[in-house]
Amino acid sequence: MVPKQPGVSKQSRVQPKQQERSLIFSAATLLAFNLSACTTNAPNATNSSNATEASALNKVALTVTDKGCEPNQLSVPAGKTSFEITNQSSQPLEWEILDGVKVVEERENIAPGFVQDLKADLEAGEYDMGCGLRSNPKGKLTVTATGTSASAVITPSQLVAPIAEYKVYVIQEIDQLVIKNQAFTDAVIAGDITKAKDLYAPTRVHWERAEPIAELFSDLDGSMDAREDDFAKKADDPEFTGFHRIEKALFQDNTTEGMKPIAEKLMADTLDLQKRIMELAIEPKNMVGGAAALIEEVAATKVSGEEDRYSRTDLWDFNANVEGSQKIVTLLRPLVEKVNPDLQKRVDTAFAQVNTTLAKYKAPGGGFVEYDQLAKGDRDDLKAVLATLSEDLSQFRGTLGVD
Amino acid sequence: MSVSHSSNSPVFRRLSRRDVLLGMIGAGGAAALASLGYRSLTHSGEIPATAEASVPFFGLHQAGITTPSPASALMVAFKVTPKTRADLTHLFQRLTDRIEFLMAGGTPQAIDPKFPPADSGILGPRVYPDNLTITVALGASLFDQRFGLAHLKPRHLAEMPSFPNDQLDPDLCHGDLMLQFCANTAETNLHALRDILKNLSDALVLSWKIEGFQQPNTLKGEHQTSVRNLLGFKDGTANLNPQDQKRMDQLVWVQAGSEPAWTTGGSYQVVRVVRNLVERWDRTPLQEQEQIIGRKKDTGAVLGYHQESDIPNYDRDRKGQQIPLDAHIRLANPRKSDLGLILRRGFNYSRSFDNAGQLDMGLLFVCFQSNLQTGFITVQERLNGEPLEEYIKPIGGGYFFALPGVPAKGQYLGQALLEAV
Ligand code: HEM
Repeated sequence: MVPKQPGVSKQSRVQPKQQERSLIFSAATLLAFNLSACTTNAPNATNSSNATEASALNKVALTVTDKGCEPNQLSVPAGKTSFEITNQSSQPLEWEILDGVKVVEERENIAPGFVQDLKADLEAGEYDMGCGLRSNPKGKLTVTATGTSASAVITPSQLVAPIAEYKVYVIQEIDQLVIKNQAFTDAVIAGDITKAKDLYAPTRVHWERAEPIAELFSDLDGSMDAREDDFAKKADDPEFTGFHRIEKALFQDNTTEGMKPIAEKLMADTLDLQKRIMELAIEPKNMVGGAAALIEEVAATKVSGEEDRYSRTDLWDFNANVEGSQKIVTLLRPLVEKVNPDLQKRVDTAFAQVNTTLAKYKAPGGGFVEYDQLAKGDRDDLKAVLATLSEDLSQFRGTLGVD
Repeated sequence: MSVSHSSNSPVFRRLSRRDVLLGMIGAGGAAALASLGYRSLTHSGEIPATAEASVPFFGLHQAGITTPSPASALMVAFKVTPKTRADLTHLFQRLTDRIEFLMAGGTPQAIDPKFPPADSGILGPRVYPDNLTITVALGASLFDQRFGLAHLKPRHLAEMPSFPNDQLDPDLCHGDLMLQFCANTAETNLHALRDILKNLSDALVLSWKIEGFQQPNTLKGEHQTSVRNLLGFKDGTANLNPQDQKRMDQLVWVQAGSEPAWTTGGSYQVVRVVRNLVERWDRTPLQEQEQIIGRKKDTGAVLGYHQESDIPNYDRDRKGQQIPLDAHIRLANPRKSDLGLILRRGFNYSRSFDNAGQLDMGLLFVCFQSNLQTGFITVQERLNGEPLEEYIKPIGGGYFFALPGVPAKGQYLGQALLEAV
């Protein structure tokens, strides 16, 4: 476990000094700038003394009797907490927060019948509470990470199982990608435009779901999934290959001419990807950060309709990214819930909101309607919820203590 | 209730150096001065170009309207995504919290480095106020069916129409919410914007934004009160005096009576992005430029007058021999009555260039008034067809209503509106 810092209320110590400085400062400024009349809301040179952003001080009350603490189990968010301790035992009380044998915070000599406050700045973790007589059972204090302080309570070994499960998921998706891509590239090579068009979006779904891992291989990401913007000569650039090059031929130029070598390369790359992923050890940050990366991707390029600009199948990719992210979130749920249930709840709500909006655009024959049918109001709603989801998912690495 | 008496009521007395020194000698002198309301600096509205200077957030009116305007501005329009009045209220409460913090400055909480930092860090580990003001205004669209606010819409608030010379770009117009950021530096405004976006991403979606700037006050000479716009002319000379509280009450702040009660203390805000066709302007003879504006380019004085501050007497020049009848200043303000008097608070803007290779820069026109009809609309209608139109192209903007201020802690922006029935 990460060592904990002694909790002190820093704010109260720093404040007087700040105030002093601001007084001197304002006086100096008054002089320097030849002060005269004023208005409501006119600038002033005083540095506000309560400048420190008020972080909500969490308050909990607890009573110590001759038998121990009531309640005997407490959970508080990381950061500053004010404990209001009532001594209802018959002895003077020494109340302590312990990390193992180490005393993190204590309030000594609370007389029987008296109430005392103890302000502690706690990092996430499991602590014990000393509850009066040594013979009394110790209380349990769980401090959960809020993203505003604290390291995680999750140990790396707890991530082993979710990562293993996630790897199975990724491998399955890439296996599907190989199968679908075979049919897709065969159609392209055979010059069957209609069939190739039909297979384009369903094939990409598997790529998009596994994207956080697939894109780790930047050479393959470049040859398989680059967009024309990535090249100096845009669509005419000979380096522009992969899915989107074929997409352009099929949906914009309405031809498969010249696509044979590109289709063959795409298939070869896919097989290469499959082989490399089998051998890959997925790192915690790739998986935990992947949930956020997928949504960032959606928020940055899918919601704007830049991804599949010729086929207008952006919503397929959009949905597949969301599914890929949700898969990770599902696998991590037991851990995240333990550390920060509120965060998990917010993320679940946001996913539900995204899925409800996306559901409106499901096509009757499976998949999704064209991107252009996405109403402006829905697009704005999606932008907002995706941004918030990105913010929340960006807390995952810290919450789970992943470097 | 009259809105003219705010907690920090104005003092129209010029403080001498000695006053200040005396104030300093007395115990807590500076604090005493501050509590008297000695907050502004010079009458002409100079502001200290220091990072520590702050503008009070609380007051009957919002900051950023009569506050002297600093060097940098950022206007950002948003769509709001809440679907209920309760969620909209929550948005305004949170927005109030952020603005209060950002305008005062402070130290964001240090957090475990495994998490993303709480603050973008653009201003360093401590957020300094830097004269930041954030002014919140509502667009007409906020009063549509979404929140049941239609019956509370300020009387004149509507979507800004296209005037005859306008070429409005839909991606640069209107919005549910307008945030006007002003500060000593562009970084401070961007820091504030990013903070608000990060904290309110669930409720705010960007509609459009534009940055503005003006020569910093440090460049102003002793007797120069105005800075130059991108046509090279002094701008702001004949503006209303924002320090004149009585005139502000008459012409800028909505008073109780004629409008929905919640609007008292607010103000109509007009934003216009007016491109200047600067290449063509720079190829126009100086005397023609001066005839078009009605002022001398070098001194800023009205044609035929000497000082920038000289006030034209149009009665003595009925035929327009000195100051053409269609000169910008003469049309904008014929000086016959208060009709059309507005508080202008514009900035310059510069973006990219167009397909023809001509610069896209001009005036980020902002003005405030208590009555949109007798204010901006009257002036714009007088200006329609003016010779200056050959050199300007309004391309964006909108009509907004700047909310009344937040008088005290615990209250929030828009409270009177959102709690009205
Ligand atoms: C790019 C567009 C514009 C430019 C370059 C411009 C420039 C100027 C200049 C150089 C002055 C003289 C200095 C001064 O008194 O502040 C002036 C005055 C003024 N302008 Fe504009 N202006 C523009 C647009 C507008 C618009 C859109 C309005 C309002 C609808 C407006 C209203 C006024 C008013 C009311 C005055 C003061 C006239 C007086 O009281 O004598 N201007 N403008």
